[in-house]
Amino acid sequence: MRKPDTLSLLVFTRSWGIVILFAALFVAFSAWGFPIFGTFDNFSLILGGASISTIFAAAIAMGIFSGALDLSVPGIAALGGVVMAKLMLSEVNLWVAMLAAIVVGGIFGLANAICTLRGLNPLAVTIGTLSVTSGLAAVVTNGPPLFGFTGLEFLGSDLYFGLPAPVYVVAIVYIFGTIFLTQTRGGTRFLAAGGNAEALRRSGVNANLYKLLGFVLSGVLAAVGGIVTTAFTSQASSLPATGSLFTGLTAVALSGISLAGGRGSLPKVFVGSIVISEIASILAIKNIQPFWSTVITGLLLIGALAGELAIQKQVSKQVVTQGTAANAALAGKKEDK
Amino acid sequence: MAKNEELALSLKGIDLYYGYVRALSSINLDVKPGECVALLGDNGAGKSTLLKVISGAHKPTQGTIEVHGRGVEFHSPRDSAAAGIEMVYQDLALVDAQDTATNLLLGREILRKGPLGWIGFLDRKAMKEEAKREVANLGVKIDTLTRPVEMLSGGQRQGVALARSAVRVSKKAQGILLLDEPTAALGYEQKVMVEQMIKRMAASNIAVVLVTHDLPLAFSAADRIVVLNRSKKVADIETSKTNNDEVVGWITGARAAQAGLE
Repeated sequence: MRKPDTLSLLVFTRSWGIVILFAALFVAFSAWGFPIFGTFDNFSLILGGASISTIFAAAIAMGIFSGALDLSVPGIAALGGVVMAKLMLSEVNLWVAMLAAIVVGGIFGLANAICTLRGLNPLAVTIGTLSVTSGLAAVVTNGPPLFGFTGLEFLGSDLYFGLPAPVYVVAIVYIFGTIFLTQTRGGTRFLAAGGNAEALRRSGVNANLYKLLGFVLSGVLAAVGGIVTTAFTSQASSLPATGSLFTGLTAVALSGISLAGGRGSLPKVFVGSIVISEIASILAIKNIQPFWSTVITGLLLIGALAGELAIQKQVSKQVVTQGTAANAALAGKKEDK
Repeated sequence: MAKNEELALSLKGIDLYYGYVRALSSINLDVKPGECVALLGDNGAGKSTLLKVISGAHKPTQGTIEVHGRGVEFHSPRDSAAAGIEMVYQDLALVDAQDTATNLLLGREILRKGPLGWIGFLDRKAMKEEAKREVANLGVKIDTLTRPVEMLSGGQRQGVALARSAVRVSKKAQGILLLDEPTAALGYEQKVMVEQMIKRMAASNIAVVLVTHDLPLAFSAADRIVVLNRSKKVADIETSKTNNDEVVGWITGARAAQAGLE
């Protein structure tokens, strides 16, 4: 039996490709960037450097898992950040300001969801929201970035056990997200809504509720990303960091899923995000212009999707061949009698 | 004529117009509990339309539907589901990326006992066992319940979709199961499996309406054969009292409609 082996190999590649890529790059870069790359300090830098875009990757991933590519993430993040900064500069309690940013994220997520569920194209809706939120953010700041607020270091530049604070935010987001997606009823239905909402509907479940949840989670996580960005840079800019959209999307694609929804694993998105950061790190170590990392991110995005498509096609082919072979064998058996 | 309470499903004088086109004209159809009725006809004869009327997807222009002797009016598939009617669509509606157990138990997932269950934690082990039990009861052969259904062959996918509806319909006291081309694009073994499932469902007192192009399936699984031709019912006869040639004649229109059905 050679065929099932091919199938298992393909599935294995799709499931674990990103982890293998991470490990391979790590070994290769450790050799190439010796002795700097493979150290704990550099790894801490890689994690820290990746952390903010990893939070945005989670926001984008939640949208994609539930079946919608949410392009408004950078705008909501910028608005969340400046709302928090503005409130803090107005002497509002830190936690209240943070909560306000998250609520803003949730509201715009909800707005995206309502428009999309009424039948508008999600890409158009979320681009509209991107424009609205970044415009509103500029209205709040009235131009230059806001700065001069204090008390956010614990979430920004402070180190705990040698790792910067945002890394822990990433850990919390990814651990809770993974538990939700893999262990709970809500998570199962959430993924089902992205994969085949009709199946959910026919099972008597309100599929729209879970589609809505996808947008709201995406908005809330975008706001969390905005908060951490503000804490890390000690200023709140109204300019949406669209680059984070690309790295986030690339991290999701690298996790080995098509962007069609219904599947996905946050831990793999995390590894995907680290791979992008690994590449940025080696470029810095080797003194190569950092702009190349943007080029490579784009190539990785396209490459990852192409790879996924090729594997998907092969898998379908294999499944069909197996089915036909089994049938032929059975039909033959029947005629023998 | 059987009394209405003894019928699982009774359609009377169903007319349906698509604009000026008459898709169904004065269709009467009775199905008893435990009976399998095969609905045959050429493409465009109206059999799928009739199935959609029963499942609540289409509202008839005229006519009445009774379920277990009670008049009903369906505005959506949800209404018909509430009345105990389950439909297996040709498109199956499976969540490809998830495994058999999850697909089978979608909407009725099993939660863990205790505090974790209160916040929605799944009992995966119990779900797998429940799925295994249900699948075994229905006689469906599926290699592994933990494989995503996209990795299953066409027949096994059909099996999962059928099993899902079958389980739901058998949970109700007097269920009605509607099947739209359940064996289209299936291999030999899988056809046999579907056929046996249909027989098993009927044996457990479920009323089955089977739309198909597959005459051998109709003859082996159905108790009664109903033929539609150009929106009209042209034959309604017990399977044992007819044969392949007659049925083909009715389907193609080469044979005159049965007495009383002209």
